[in-house]
Amino acid sequence: MAGKPVRPVNAIDQTRRMLSLVTYLKERPGARVEDVARAFGITEDELVSDLDVLPMCGTSFRGGDLLDIDTDGERIWWHNPAALGEETAEPLRLAADEATALLVAARAVATLPGLREGDRQALLRATAKVEAAAGETAGASSRLSVTFESEGGVFADVDRAIAERRRLWIRYYSPARDELTEREIDPIRLVSVGHTYVEAWCRRSEARRTFRLDRVAEIKILDEPSAPPEIELRDLSEALVQPAAEDPEVVVEVGPGGRWVAEYYPHDSADELPDGGLRITLRTPDPASLRRLALRLGRDGRIVAPRDLADSARQAAREALAAYDGVEAQGAHGGLAVTTDGTTGGSEP
Amino acid sequence: MAIAKAERLMNLALCLLGTRRPLSKRELRESIEAYLEANSEDAFSRMFERDKDDLRELGLVIETVENLDGETGYLARRDSNRLPPITLDAEEAAALGLAAKVWQQARLAGAASGALQKLRAAGLPEDVDPYEAHGALEPRIPVHEAAFEPLMLACRDRRPVVFDYRKATAAHPEPRHVEPWALECWRGHWYLAGWDRDRGAERVFRLSRITGRVRSRSGQFTAPVPDVVTVRETVASWAGETADRSALIRLRSGSGYPLRAKATAVRELADGWDELEIPYGHGLDAWLVEFGPDVVVLEPAELRADVVDRLRAVAKG
Repeated sequence: MAGKPVRPVNAIDQTRRMLSLVTYLKERPGARVEDVARAFGITEDELVSDLDVLPMCGTSFRGGDLLDIDTDGERIWWHNPAALGEETAEPLRLAADEATALLVAARAVATLPGLREGDRQALLRATAKVEAAAGETAGASSRLSVTFESEGGVFADVDRAIAERRRLWIRYYSPARDELTEREIDPIRLVSVGHTYVEAWCRRSEARRTFRLDRVAEIKILDEPSAPPEIELRDLSEALVQPAAEDPEVVVEVGPGGRWVAEYYPHDSADELPDGGLRITLRTPDPASLRRLALRLGRDGRIVAPRDLADSARQAAREALAAYDGVEAQGAHGGLAVTTDGTTGGSEP
Repeated sequence: MAIAKAERLMNLALCLLGTRRPLSKRELRESIEAYLEANSEDAFSRMFERDKDDLRELGLVIETVENLDGETGYLARRDSNRLPPITLDAEEAAALGLAAKVWQQARLAGAASGALQKLRAAGLPEDVDPYEAHGALEPRIPVHEAAFEPLMLACRDRRPVVFDYRKATAAHPEPRHVEPWALECWRGHWYLAGWDRDRGAERVFRLSRITGRVRSRSGQFTAPVPDVVTVRETVASWAGETADRSALIRLRSGSGYPLRAKATAVRELADGWDELEIPYGHGLDAWLVEFGPDVVVLEPAELRADVVDRLRAVAKG
């Protein structure tokens, strides 16, 4: 199947798959390679490599009762299904990791605010049935949980616009410039990775853009049809926002209290400094947008380059201080009690 | 050429599932080509032990039985390995199809696909493409932290662990001995809740701050595991989401939309400024400073002082 990444062969996953495959094939003589690959969520090549291994397997090597399974590339034939006893080919119980992986994901998706009610109900019903079938192995699944953040109302409108292929009008907040802009977008898909985003073709910039739903201040579904150009969807295993090689470089030096910058900003390098801080080099199309970062860092870090960015942060701080003229600020920096071990010193966004 | 591991595991699984009486190691070695080809008894034994562990990871219940001759035998009884009857309709099947694609971590992605394949073998309807059924929705669970897999297994098996952890504001990591309870992903980051043995108290750790390897410790948990472990409340309070007070600020007209979205009261002033009442939680001072000269804190005095303090640090540069 096109578009699927090539996965490395993993003996555990392959064995697991082949055990299900024999059960599945036993019921379906002459099954089509294409259909079986789709049902198992694998490529036809992966299926064919399983079919190469299966004839070497059986209940007893010496007894000569190997599985006589072959394929002409289109259909799959099993000439001695009796080689596996009736019982040996029954569906196998779920392993703890399998139940956990499926249940945790299903529960997470079911809590997505804005999900269609019909889909949510289907997820909840399926979850209950899988829990029942998994029995006690489902227990460990409560030790993992995932929350997706989403804005229910915005999500539902985007979802509807995609389904009905209609254009959207949004008022969108850009933190980099602290401003709201109005745009028309042709939505392509909703992506939840911690936060939920809509990937869309932006009619204002005539480019692909990703919008975070909690930054959509207002949304309207327009009557005009949505007509995004055919674009290749980006691989979600990478960060949604990738800086380009030609973007200007920014160097930030932070103390121990500013190490979170390396966790939040995709960067080229982060070198340890002797005081426990970091020297972080990153790229951004719009260095001015990092003025916010410089202000937030306060005594926990500073912009080293570019020079004018550091200057603009200093200038902004001076202007802001002017409003407090005449106020005697306390020297002691209170209010940042560190009570838990992941505390951020109050600095993370 | 060495026989592929998947072939060996598959043969062992089929032998153990296909037998009605326990099979001895000797019988298994004679039945499975890869074992016959093992160079020595030792090499075979090691291979066999590893393979049994792998099959158990796949969910196979393998029993160890002593036979009349005092020889150890193995079998995977059908009764303990059969999937109980489960009937899912097309909508439920599509829902699970979507859920199975959510993990980006290799082990759990493999496990989720494996679960779906077992359900397919048990008759899960397959005529619905989950992407069609759910519109264009793609939820993904990101896992970038190396500590995730060992901690997931330790939580599952209730095994104590030790790891080096760097607190947010600490210059250097220090070792932490933890009885891990649960992992939770919030806003794309993973957190661990557990019992900190050195501090004798419950703690929450952010996985990205674990440096180096997570090592298992032998022995049992010493502290009781609570029925409900809540990670999110703790983390949300770090993020300033649990405000117990309110603050009064002036905000330049047209700026600071997120502050307006959070405001509990907004009053328009005459001079191009608005006055807002906003929730005052942990970290508000750092956030307000981001808006530079567009925000002036009025009350409380403590917040005003914190903001001025931060601004001075930046102004000095």
